[in-house]
Order: sequence, then structure tokens, then C-alpha cells
Amino acid sequence: MQHLEELKQQIRDRLPALDLVIGWEAGFDPLRATPLFMRQPDDVDRLIIGPQCVHNLATHLTGLKGRKIGIVVKGCDSRTIVELLQEKLINREDLVVFGVPCSGVVSVGKIGRKMGSLDYVEGVEFSADSVTVASEGVQNSFALEEVAADKCGRCQYNTPLLFDVLVGEPRPGDVVDDYADVATFEEQPLEARMNHWLEAMDRCVRCYACRNACPMCVCRDHCVAQSRDPHWMTQEDTVENKLLFQIIHTMHLAGRCTECGECERSCPMSIPLLLLRRKMNKEIDALFDYRAGTRIDATPPLLSFKVEEEKINERGW
Amino acid sequence: MSAVDATELRIVGFLCNWCSYGGADTAGVGRFQQPTDLRIIRVPCSGRIDPLFVVKSLINGADGVLVSGCHPRDCHYSEGNFYARRRLEVLKKFLPILGIDHRRFEYTWVSASEGQKWKTVVSTFTEHIHQLGPAPKINREALVLARTLAAKAV
Amino acid sequence: MAAKFIAHTELDAWLGRISERYRALVPRREGNAVVFRPFDPAMPVELKARPTESPKAAVFPRCEALLAYKYEKDPEEPGRVEVEVAERRDGVPTVVIGGRPCDAAAFKTFDRVYDSDRVRDLNYLNRREMTVLVSLVCSKPATTCFCHWMGGGPASTAGSDVLMTPVADGHVFETLTARGDEVIGTELPDASDAQMTEARKVQAAAEAAMGEPVDVGAAREKLLALFDDAGFWEAESAKCISCGVCTYLCPTCYCFNITDEKFGHEGVRLRTWDYCMSHLFTMEASGHNPRPTKAHRLKNRVGHKFSYYPSLHGGNIACCGCGRCIRSCPASVDIRAIVLNAIAAPAPRPKG
Repeated sequence: MQHLEELKQQIRDRLPALDLVIGWEAGFDPLRATPLFMRQPDDVDRLIIGPQCVHNLATHLTGLKGRKIGIVVKGCDSRTIVELLQEKLINREDLVVFGVPCSGVVSVGKIGRKMGSLDYVEGVEFSADSVTVASEGVQNSFALEEVAADKCGRCQYNTPLLFDVLVGEPRPGDVVDDYADVATFEEQPLEARMNHWLEAMDRCVRCYACRNACPMCVCRDHCVAQSRDPHWMTQEDTVENKLLFQIIHTMHLAGRCTECGECERSCPMSIPLLLLRRKMNKEIDALFDYRAGTRIDATPPLLSFKVEEEKINERGW
Repeated sequence: MSAVDATELRIVGFLCNWCSYGGADTAGVGRFQQPTDLRIIRVPCSGRIDPLFVVKSLINGADGVLVSGCHPRDCHYSEGNFYARRRLEVLKKFLPILGIDHRRFEYTWVSASEGQKWKTVVSTFTEHIHQLGPAPKINREALVLARTLAAKAV
Repeated sequence: MAAKFIAHTELDAWLGRISERYRALVPRREGNAVVFRPFDPAMPVELKARPTESPKAAVFPRCEALLAYKYEKDPEEPGRVEVEVAERRDGVPTVVIGGRPCDAAAFKTFDRVYDSDRVRDLNYLNRREMTVLVSLVCSKPATTCFCHWMGGGPASTAGSDVLMTPVADGHVFETLTARGDEVIGTELPDASDAQMTEARKVQAAAEAAMGEPVDVGAAREKLLALFDDAGFWEAESAKCISCGVCTYLCPTCYCFNITDEKFGHEGVRLRTWDYCMSHLFTMEASGHNPRPTKAHRLKNRVGHKFSYYPSLHGGNIACCGCGRCIRSCPASVDIRAIVLNAIAAPAPRPKG
């Protein structure tokens, strides 16, 4: 709470020089936060920080290019900003980054599974390492670890990599991400993997929340998925079409995805999209020793090359 | 003539205009016997190949996809194939998570003078694809089957 | 009209029998989502959690072929090409079991548009006539529910053919229409007086739990007054990410797009769902877009539901208060808040 007051003060101090500052406020129930766009000093009173602040607010940055923006970021969100700066999609001088060290955000989906329903949430309390949800007159406590988003369990960037103002104590991140989830999935036979995607993609309603919530999906209104010229995808509601879109999405994010998980979180149909992005990142890391959103001065691996590639096996026919 | 005594399979080939398409031509002019499963699409450069071309072919029922361009350092546009090499390698490594056999996709370098090599590439790749057999279809029927299997597993 | 009872233990077997006669769509859990699927005895039916999607696809599919066409060259005169067009009107007798009363009421919004004096959408009507709605009474309102603002209620019968009320060890089915009677038939035992009393109690408790409705009638005029207030709409839409979740999960959103998908000499004309949050929704052939920003687009979504539609259709609001758009929105945009903010907003100064 003391950090929240400090953050509010920092934002109030800087707000006069900015068009707006993006943070979070309470949403429609105590478990759900929602993005807050602060323009007036009064707006800052509504700011909250905590494990319910799941949104990667950097998603909004490219749409606000050219304006002076302040933004509150967690560690993982800061990687997105690094990546956006690296690709020159936003201007550093227009940006004031308020960094908040993070100990993990909740997965609403996980809490929902444990509670059975999140339709009746009456109150939520967060402590340093637990979440207590009151619903239908009953209180349920969960360890934060147990209900945190998957990405938090493998996070190495609890403290933002880039900030102008840091509020709170930096937290070390010493977890090593070995992509065990990808390896486990790939232990299944090929046919089972394909069946998994067919089943999952069949639920897709093509709302494109995965695309619009993705901070690195910068084509925005000019997406290949809805283009008639070139006409790569049809409007037919077939599972192969929907799978093709996800593959295109993943390929477009190769070497750019910072694994914020917004694609998967925003999917109303609960399609495990992040696994595809992580598989891509795993291979990029293995081939080019590269993780997106960690260095501003790096060049994304698919935008560069070496004459002799060390890790690409020229198969020789 | 197909590689083995079996029905012809569908292999899509994306060939760069300057080297591999010329190489295929050289093989033809040299009257080298080749299997006929491959359908060639000519592109300006292997760097022009969006991985989406390959994926769309595989999803729409191709049994194999072959990409061929100029040898590294020999690209008509100096560096198109260097970019292609990274992209195609990433794609090949990515395919397994989808449940698509990565052996159904291959990329190689053949110059315009290498008619004999082109013959070897086509014959070898076609034989590999025949060993793998027709690719599992990705469509409504496959989905229904996937659902049935999932229901049995419950 | 009959009142029947079915025990929890009998439900699956009964659904199995219904499936022999109809496409029986039931809510089913897949991942964290609850979706409508044809009944499958191997998969449990989810009647507790609210369905993530609305059952509107039963009547208005996400994608349907309106016609198929084929170009054929005249063998006598190769320059002449004939087009063969075959109209398509698909549809199978369907029962939707486990939609909520708000979902059933929502089809009224469709009917006013697709079955009017001026327009009769035959593809829609064909499916509509074949679809029977067995609505499950909500025993408790969710934090996102506001059906009572829209004149509905957790036990409202509007639009439903059968009302299904959860009681201690099963469900009471009350048929409301002849089509409902046909589906329920006579095989089930009549609900006892005690069961009926209990059902009424559940319904009354649910209605009581909704609290006082909020009157949003003033939104009709107010949204028009705010039409040119760009600042208001920019602030309200700031967090929107322009995806189609709200629209595609909405039981009352009825907009569509028509495209021809041609392969060689053959093709189909498809009707697919479209969403006004999309840049392409109003994109004109000239390249001009009258709704260039998300503020314009969100204004349309709210304005259409609470102002333009009521003006055209006898004051009826094109929203059923199911709350799906709020619950599943990646940015938690709350349409209730936008409407209330609009009503509370100071009237913009007249122009000039």
C-alpha cells in the first residue's frame, strides 16, 4: 500500500507534462482489474496495483504513438516496451515508464476452475503470497503460487528491465525457463498433437482478441487474416482456416514475442495459444541464442543473418 | 513415373527463379529421369517465400513441400537466401508442435547448372515422402475423429 | 401446457432420447470455456456455470453458405460463360437445452430485424422455426448480470419454449408453447405439487436477488446528444482493444458480412458474423472509413444497442443484459458503466 501511495505521487508529479498515464483500476468485480487512463490528477486516486493487474498495458502504446504517455509496467510488460523500442514502433522520449516490481499476477482461469464459478465474487484479499476470494458466503484461500499465471512461475524479470521511476524494492528473478511445458507436450505422438489443436481451434469464434491483445501485433487494422487482397484466408469457419491463422500469428511473432501471454488470457474460448508462441521462442533461443525484449540494441534474429550459421545444419543432398 | 509403384502424392515445390528453377530446367534438358509428384511454383527468390506459403500448402493437403534456392553466397539478390535460411529453419523446427511431421518439409540449395543434383534432390525427397505416405488430412472429418478419440479417452 | 419433472440421474438418458429426434445442443465445459455442443453421452453437461458463448449460433451460424455457384463455358461459344447458381438453405431440427432466459429473449432482437414487414430473411427464419429453446432458470444473478434492466429476469419466460427450473434432485420443465410440448412429450412424469412449489420458490428467490433495476431509457436521447462529443467517446473507449469478443459472444448482435469464396470456377457465397469493433466493418470501397477510430466504433456498439435500435423497433433495447461482453472482455470494458456515464454526462453545448 505504501508503494501505491508513492506511485500515485510520482504519477501526479509527472502528469502535467504528459497527455495521459496508463495504469489499472478496479474492474466490475474485486478479482478483475481494468486499464485506467489517467488524464486529470483526480483520476490517479483510482489507481491500484497488485496481482489482479494482469493486463499488459503496453498493448495500448502503438495506438498512442506521437503522444506523451506515462505507463505503469510489471517486469514482463517492460520486455514488451524494450521490444517495441527496439523495433522503433514507439519513441523513448515520448514515454515515461513507471516500473513496479512484481511477484506474480493471478490467473482468473485457474481461480475459476478452483472455485467452480467466478460469477458471484464478493470480495478478494491479496497478501504477499496468497489470495482469498469470497463468493456465495464462503471464503477460499489459495497460495499465490498455485493460482498465478503460468508465466509467473518461470519469470526471470520480476523487476522491470527498463524504467524511469521504480516504485518498490527490486526483486531478483533467478528461475531458469527450460521450456519444460513445450517438451512435455511434444512427448505425445504427432497425431495426438494435431488432434489437440483441432479440438481447441474448433472452439475459436474468430473474435481476434488474441491478435488485438498482442502488443507486438502491430498491423492492427490491416491484418492478413481479413485481407481480401492478398486473400490468404477464407471466411469459411473451418478448423484448418483457424489453425492457419494461429500459425501465421506465431510466425509473425518469431523472435519478437515477449511471452506476456495476453493472447491466451484474452481468448474467451480458453485456447492454449501461448504454447505455440513458446515453442517458437524455444527454437529461436536454441538456434540464435536470443530472447525477445531483453535488449534494445539487438536485432531480431529473423531480420539479420550470418553468412555461416553456426547452428543451422546445411543438410547437404 | 512415381518414385515407387504407388499412387502419385502431392508435393509442392517453391523454386527460386535464378538458380533452382534453372537447375530443374537443366535436369529436364539433360533428360534425367525424375519422379513426377512435384508441382513447381516459381518465385523470384527463396527470400520471397513467406513461411505461410509452406504452411498453407501443408494444411490444405500437400503431402510434402520442398523449397529450393541459390546456394548461400550465390543469391541473385545477394542476401535473400540468407534470410530465407533462417526463416525456413525456424519453420521446420516449429512444425512438430502442430503435429505435422517436419520431414514433410525440406529446403535445399541447387544452382542452375546442377541438373544432376536437382534430380537427386527430387528423387530423394519424393522417396522420403512416399515412405511417410499420404499426409493426414486436416479438415472437418479429422476433427470429428479427434473428438471421438477424446471422448473415448474420458 | 404441461409441467414435468426429471431427476438428475435421468437427465443424460433423456437427452440421449432427444438427440435421436433433434440436434440437441447443450452447454459443455471445454478448458475454462462453456460452449454449446451437440449432446454426447461421453461428455458431461454443464448446467452450473454460465455458458461463455450465447446459443445464437444455433439459429444464426457463425458462417453459412447462402448459395453455391459455378461458371461454365458454353461449348458452342467459348467466349460465353454461364453461371449456375444454387440457393442453399440448410438447417436441422434443433433443441437448445441450457441457454438462459436472457438468451431466449435475445432472439426477439433478431426477429424484429429478420422477420419484419420489409425484410424476411428466409435462411434465418428457416432455422428459427426449427429451433426449440429450453431455457434454464438462473438461481442466482452473477456480478455481470443486468437482465432486469432490460425488462427480463432470471426466470423470465419471454422467447422460451420450455422453462427449466433447478430443484433439489432434478429439474422441473414447464412447457410454454406447442413446440415445447412436442419436445417434452408425455414420457416424463408430471411434476408433483411439492416440486412445483419448490420451483416457484427458486424462481421468486432469483427474481428477488436481482435487486432494483436501473432505468436506462434516458440513454436513447442522451446517446444521440453525445454523438459528436469525441472527448467522451475517446475516454470511454480508451481501454478497448477493438477485438470482437463482446460482439461475438453477444446474444443480440446480428450483423453479418457477405463474401464470395471462389476456388477455380466454383464458389460459395458466405454469410459470416461481422463485428462493428472492426476497422473493416464500415470500410468503403473508395478507401474512406466513416468510423476510423475505435472511439467511433465503440460509440456505434453502444449507440446501436441503446439508442438507434430502440428508435427503429418500438423502444426495445438491443441488449438482453447477459453480461457476457463484460465478463469476457480482455480489458473488462463494462457496457453498463458506459451507458450510465452517458446518461450522467453533461449535455454537450449546442453547436454554433
